[in-house]
Amino acid sequence: MTGNWLIELTGIVLTALLAFTVGMFYGGLRRKVIARAQNRVGPPVYQNFLDLLKLQGKTTNVTHGLMTHLAPVWVLVAAITALLFIPVLHGGLWFPNFTFKGDLIFLLYLMVMGSLGMALGVGETGNPNGAIGVSRGLSLITGYEIPFVLSLVAIMIQFHTTSLTDLMHYQQATGHWIARENPFAFLAALFSVLGMFHYSPFDIIGAPAELASGPMSEFGGKYLGSLMTGGSIFAFVKLVLITDLFLGGAGHPDAYTGAAGVLLGLVELVIKTFLLYMIPVSIGIVMPRFRTEQAVRFFWRWPLLFGALGIIWAVFWK
Amino acid sequence: MSETKDIRIITRPTKEQIRQAQIDFAPRCTAAGRVNDKETQKMVQYILNFARKHSLFLLAYGTGCGAIEIPATLTSRYDAERLGIRGAATPRQADVLMITGYLSTKTLKRVIRVYEQMQDPKYVVAFGSCTINGGMYFDSYNTIKALDRYIPVDVYIAGCMPRPEAVLKGFAKLQELIQNGNAGNGECYRKNLDWYRANQQKVIKNWDFPDEYNW
Amino acid sequence: MGIIYVLGILIIGALAAFFVDDLNRKWTGPVAMLAGFGAAAAFAFLPGGIVRWRILGFSMHWETDALAGFFAWIVLGLSALALMYSVKYMEGKARQGYFYASFLTSVAGMFGVAVSKDLLSFFIFWEIMTWTSFLLAIYNAYYGVETKGIKYIIFSAIGAYAMLTAIVLALGQYHSLEFSDLMAAGAFRFSSGNWYIPVLLLLGFAVKAAVLPLHVWAPAVYPKTPMSFTAVFSGAMSKMGILGMLLILTGIFRSATGWELTLVRWVLGWLGGLTAAWATLQAIRQNDAKDLLAWSSVAQLGYIVTAVSTGTRLGLMAALYLALLHAAFKGSLFMVAGAVEKQAGTTDFRRISGLIKRMPWTFLTALIAIISLAGIPPLGGFVGKWLLYESLISETHAYFLVILIFFASTSAFLYSYRFLFGLFLGQEEEEAKQITEVSWWMLIPMLALSAVSVVTGMYPGLIFRPAARALESIGLPAGQWDMSILSNVWGNQTDVFTVGSTVGILFVLWALFITFKGKKNTRWLTTKEISTSGEIPAPEDNCTFQRGFFQPFERAVGRLYRSSMDQLWEDIGAALEAFFGFIRKIYTGNAQTYAMYVIIFVVLLILFRNYIF
Repeated sequence: MTGNWLIELTGIVLTALLAFTVGMFYGGLRRKVIARAQNRVGPPVYQNFLDLLKLQGKTTNVTHGLMTHLAPVWVLVAAITALLFIPVLHGGLWFPNFTFKGDLIFLLYLMVMGSLGMALGVGETGNPNGAIGVSRGLSLITGYEIPFVLSLVAIMIQFHTTSLTDLMHYQQATGHWIARENPFAFLAALFSVLGMFHYSPFDIIGAPAELASGPMSEFGGKYLGSLMTGGSIFAFVKLVLITDLFLGGAGHPDAYTGAAGVLLGLVELVIKTFLLYMIPVSIGIVMPRFRTEQAVRFFWRWPLLFGALGIIWAVFWK
Repeated sequence: MSETKDIRIITRPTKEQIRQAQIDFAPRCTAAGRVNDKETQKMVQYILNFARKHSLFLLAYGTGCGAIEIPATLTSRYDAERLGIRGAATPRQADVLMITGYLSTKTLKRVIRVYEQMQDPKYVVAFGSCTINGGMYFDSYNTIKALDRYIPVDVYIAGCMPRPEAVLKGFAKLQELIQNGNAGNGECYRKNLDWYRANQQKVIKNWDFPDEYNW
Repeated sequence: MGIIYVLGILIIGALAAFFVDDLNRKWTGPVAMLAGFGAAAAFAFLPGGIVRWRILGFSMHWETDALAGFFAWIVLGLSALALMYSVKYMEGKARQGYFYASFLTSVAGMFGVAVSKDLLSFFIFWEIMTWTSFLLAIYNAYYGVETKGIKYIIFSAIGAYAMLTAIVLALGQYHSLEFSDLMAAGAFRFSSGNWYIPVLLLLGFAVKAAVLPLHVWAPAVYPKTPMSFTAVFSGAMSKMGILGMLLILTGIFRSATGWELTLVRWVLGWLGGLTAAWATLQAIRQNDAKDLLAWSSVAQLGYIVTAVSTGTRLGLMAALYLALLHAAFKGSLFMVAGAVEKQAGTTDFRRISGLIKRMPWTFLTALIAIISLAGIPPLGGFVGKWLLYESLISETHAYFLVILIFFASTSAFLYSYRFLFGLFLGQEEEEAKQITEVSWWMLIPMLALSAVSVVTGMYPGLIFRPAARALESIGLPAGQWDMSILSNVWGNQTDVFTVGSTVGILFVLWALFITFKGKKNTRWLTTKEISTSGEIPAPEDNCTFQRGFFQPFERAVGRLYRSSMDQLWEDIGAALEAFFGFIRKIYTGNAQTYAMYVIIFVVLLILFRNYIF
């Protein structure tokens, strides 16, 4: 990392703002899409911004202790830190932040930091619904992380690197997406994405009808607002991660430079992430909810098989 | 058999008594009772009110038969979500407490608890005649007749029971009040807590609320 | 001469503690603590040197090279802190002289194991350490002490006999017991023709390191030992098994190729991985904090065994790093369990909850240790996990083993959370209101151990450098290590300092924001003030969700939970009993039968004399 700290700081702030905006709009779009699928008009796409503004504008707030107070902070910090270590666009086009300083294993662990911090905060409230939600959430993590790791290991050994930037460079240099180079790994990762987003049929954590929104049940006002911000950024982080890993990332610094390159790259990023996002969303529209053990076992069956096939593919491909 | 005539002696209340009764029973917190000039609102307040009005997290407290109208209001046919109204699961997240129909005294206790756990600014929408004057349960021994003696109410939706169109009209009214800065009575409830507590304790026999009111 | 001083201080301390207890019970603990810190100070400030002496024709050789120093620091550092913790923890308990004398002798044994450079003294110290730890394991006269204690001693005896056999065989073959001589002669190679020597020795070490089929004693004994010793038991003594494995396998690792290395990587690596996964699954379903920690120790030892089995630069570094870090965080976690036990009377999750407001400092220690255990950045545990994964992926190409390890460490989040939630979070019990924080004598060792996790999270190089020297001292590849940048063989890097500072800065910023935004109108509620559908919980109601906490997960795992390793051993025991019952029938008590045996024996002898003599 060279350059002066002011540019770096600007980069961090701008990246976070971009992730926030896009993530919030995606949340609104999801509500719109679900509404259209149900033959409704649905809320405006900017609805989530209004919700956030209202939540931050609540005049009173309650919390149950220090861990509860800090729970949204953990979520947000995990989301932004993960964002800073993931290249948003191909090298040089957008602010690279710390993309050279963390590899995939690190990202994998960083991504659970928020959930665990949140879980601690939820535990302190003493709300049994929250604790049940946490128990379900942690069980679900053991489900979807395994295929995800399988697919990551597959591409790591296929390309002899654990660095996200290296993988992006490979895809850019050859023009081949890793989704094509190792389709099984991509398939396993797609399945884990379904679990990561906690949409139906994996919405067991915050199931409103069973658990009164589970972990969220004691959070309101500024706390819920912060959780929402963190969740939106994190949704974008997950989408960008998968895009960078499998779908070739976005932006072509060789073809376009300067502002045009950034703009085109961002457009490409938005298109790719949006299409990717529509997979869990559209599956979520039509699916009922699994029970927890069904959800966990689901991930230990087909996705696990695809992941293992991905590894075998990777071993024989090289 | 000798006819005995039941003679009921009716004494007309004095003017003084009527005035006293009006003072005693008049709700302390009503949206109409407060005057808030729109022109005096600051810009920030205006924007916040705009957000509040278009983002109403609804805790539909299905107390009575009227609860059946809420799913219709929220789902495809009437689609309240296009107005920014969506369900909330717990009082901590909710903005609007909706009392759908009659309230037995037993339920009232839970409603008060839920109302107190909501965070300011919070609104109450009373739904159906039962919340206004007891409706068809006006002479029941275990339902409360006027909701606003126990918790402050922002909007009443009359009818037995009001159709989803009426509910949406009620929400439109609430939005208007919010934009004008006339809705939300949490502050007032805290100020007049003694009066509300007295009324609540009159009907709730097994009173076990914490002594201190801590939201 | 530092070794002699350290051993001397420990032994004299043990004797002193034993006799002081008769004079004045108050002074037993402090005397033992002084001995512990004295030994650590002697080791720190006096040159270690080399000690050689002969007894009965055997030469003893003790030396503090870098490897011995590394493990000796784990032993002495953790023990000194645990002894400090003991002072208040053991206050008011009976037989303190017995406890501290065994404790200090055990520490002396561990230190001796670390510095021994020949198999005989290694074995003697090993036995001292095993027997004293057995005495401590049965210190609490609990229900079932005879079955649980016996489990430990039987498995230790199996290990000890295996080691003894190996020592005798080695002496017969190579006429020396010096590690260096044996190594030079290739005694520890499977290809040497005496393949049973390393196998038997590894068996002995595997018992101490609680590797899969031999682990059953650990979950039985750890929770029953006084917690101040369990911290050392799990944190330092199990590492002696790792040290032994390192010493034995060095020769194989140096060759760096060949079928032996492959064999070690497959067998030991998978045993370690299976240990980790199995023990993690067991830890998840425990309802007592101490049982949970005991299983978790077995699981963590599984990672370390896998790391040792790789024999590569990153893998061995992961082993040493995790060995030290595990001593730090598991030591402090057992101390936390002890603190809760002392203050609340039990560590059963179903009986206590919500101690965070009563014991905030203990909670802070537990939080740091658990984050480190779970391997979440930016604390130290993450670095160990990173090294382990990278070594398995990029160096030994054990792809499916990585998945197994990853499954274990992801499932570890479940029990990690359970530990914190069960003891410290959730609703407060009414009777828990009188619980107070433990004394600073107990808190300081706990916080000191937590500090290790925090500091190594940003500067893992503090451990890398001594660990690299330790590896180089036995001729293994160590390479260059940066202070806070991790890099694998493909050249990919993770800069933990950047990670730590980013997380730290963002955390502080957002915490300030959320604290000061609307501070006046933010109220802090008790855990009774929760939204329970409008219902008001009575003071005696406790809504905390504790029973069957991970039931859905257990259902998802399903059939695996129905099998038990204990059952396997019990079946083996029953089979052996039946077998020996059959053998016993030889002794009929009839003189004529015995005469027949003698004749048969003589006949056989004559028939096969050419083959036997």
